[in-house]
Amino acid sequence: MKPFAVKDCALLVRMSGLPPAINLRELRERVAACNENVLFHHFCESLLRPAFDHPDYRNDFAVWAKWYLSDRVLAERLGILDPYTVNSLEELRAITLDIIDERLSEVVAIPSAAPGDEFFFLEATTVVIDTGERVNSPKELGAAIRKMTNGSIFFHFLEARRRVPVGMDDFSAWLKGEEKKNAKYIRTLASIDFYFHSLSNLKEEIIAALAKVERKR
Amino acid sequence: MSMTLSAYERIVGPSAITQLYRLGKKLKGRRIVHVNSTREGGGVAEILDWMVPLMCDVGLDASWEVIRGTEEFFEVTKKIHNGLQGRPVDISHKDWKIFQEVNEANMGRLRPILKSADIVVVHDPQPAFLLPLCDGRKGKWIWRGHIDISRPFRPVWKVLRTMLEKYDVSIFSMCEFAQSLPHTQFIVTPSIDPLSPKNRDLEPADCENVRTRFGLDPDRPLLVQISRFDRFKDPVGVIQAYRLVRKVLPIQLVLAGGGAADDPEGKAVLEDVQEAAADDPDIHVLELPPTAHVTINALQRLGDIILQKSTREGFGLTVTEGMWKGKPVIGGDTGGIRLQVVNHHTGFLVNTPEGAAHRIRYLLHHRERISEMGKDAREFVRENFLLTRHLREYLTLILAIRGDATARLLEV
Repeated sequence: MKPFAVKDCALLVRMSGLPPAINLRELRERVAACNENVLFHHFCESLLRPAFDHPDYRNDFAVWAKWYLSDRVLAERLGILDPYTVNSLEELRAITLDIIDERLSEVVAIPSAAPGDEFFFLEATTVVIDTGERVNSPKELGAAIRKMTNGSIFFHFLEARRRVPVGMDDFSAWLKGEEKKNAKYIRTLASIDFYFHSLSNLKEEIIAALAKVERKR
Repeated sequence: MSMTLSAYERIVGPSAITQLYRLGKKLKGRRIVHVNSTREGGGVAEILDWMVPLMCDVGLDASWEVIRGTEEFFEVTKKIHNGLQGRPVDISHKDWKIFQEVNEANMGRLRPILKSADIVVVHDPQPAFLLPLCDGRKGKWIWRGHIDISRPFRPVWKVLRTMLEKYDVSIFSMCEFAQSLPHTQFIVTPSIDPLSPKNRDLEPADCENVRTRFGLDPDRPLLVQISRFDRFKDPVGVIQAYRLVRKVLPIQLVLAGGGAADDPEGKAVLEDVQEAAADDPDIHVLELPPTAHVTINALQRLGDIILQKSTREGFGLTVTEGMWKGKPVIGGDTGGIRLQVVNHHTGFLVNTPEGAAHRIRYLLHHRERISEMGKDAREFVRENFLLTRHLREYLTLILAIRGDATARLLEV
């Protein structure tokens, strides 16, 4: 197996160019029109932005619905969406729009935010930095992950799923180099329910899962 | 400032430092020039004070230029500043001419440096007109807006926009501040230097000296607001909040502000504040020189609660400073304060003097919450608002704009 190259990443956030949404109807229009990077940012990259502790919901749309539209029903429906369980960001967009349309059909008045509390559509460039660190064998992986930054965890375990092979984290893709030998590691990584974790929790979860495999060997 | 990045390793960890040196290596020798309007006083000067040496430390050829202006010019730019923050102001044709002429005079002096730079970062509106004057420029120009221009007074914005649209990219502290411009707009939150005289750890004796110097009572709770004497910081509202609490609790208040060379309105606001404080011996209105960093550091450490009751705020570095000292912050529900004060976790967001008074009383009756919130506040700053993160974003941004600034992935 080739050594695993540990990379780190940072987000460079920018305005998407879409006008902000002040109400649910405008949110629907913008979600329908935005590019996939905008969806990915608001569903997945919020983990790397300044945030405190555990927010109510993992995606920005649900958080906005709760705090600024004061629509807790919509927030709950959007909040349970897990972008990593759908086949593509287009599918995620379709599901999101369906939820918003359903809500628009239920409410008497269009939920609206106060001026200054609009939803701003952002996107980001993921800047990837090679740390120079290398992992030579699956046995070393747990210890190597313990030393990784949150940026590395995000890049290798979450962002990786947008790259080829689509839907797979970098650790598993590397372990697949000797699939039969590493089947237990691959299975344990696949069993982690990761979307609702903070990055530091996710790191601990991955380390614990790998340690469990080691103990059984 | 002579600090190198390695000095920050014990605060942010080795990987953050290694990452910065790696990024710097990719930009080795690149000539970057920052331009603003004051060397001392205010958040921008404080940021540049550490950013320029640290950019040099990672390998860039960075420098900092300050435009020179007349008293008239700074009166005009203060009006522009107020207008951009939403206050209706009257800026005449003559005022804009003064603005333009001072920028022209500075361009005459700075042209060789600016023309040959790989990157020029122009901070805030005062030097914004330099770009239209720089024919044959070699590098990319970035406009960095530090103030809240989410709802500008339109006549002022319309004129400034004609200057800003010529820039290659712009940077805002929050997405709420960004305006429609024909180029990419990045979002980069500011930060503080944890090892600067204003933020480094102090010996207890240093704090006690400051307490004695200003006659502060060690046995009574102390509220502290540190900021320029500026109407948007609402110092009079802070006094109103203090008075509401003072009726029932024996508190003291410090309102301390440094002047900035580019803020001619400060004196008038200070007079208003002194008048509002009247002869209350427990309100300490302190006019501090721009170099009083250790004094400010000590005052923030002596305070039980930090206030920043702004009605408009760009980011509010004094909030970050207070949080870094492990204090809860009661801040105005506006601008960058919202990003830092996580309501009920690192402090409270308020909209009125009454709201501030209510939260002050709550905290003073629940002292354990002061230390819990303060601890969380410090960690929140460590994760998000220290200079290493800020420097990383500037370096990645410079790398990004060398090529396609909107690429999804950028491997460096």
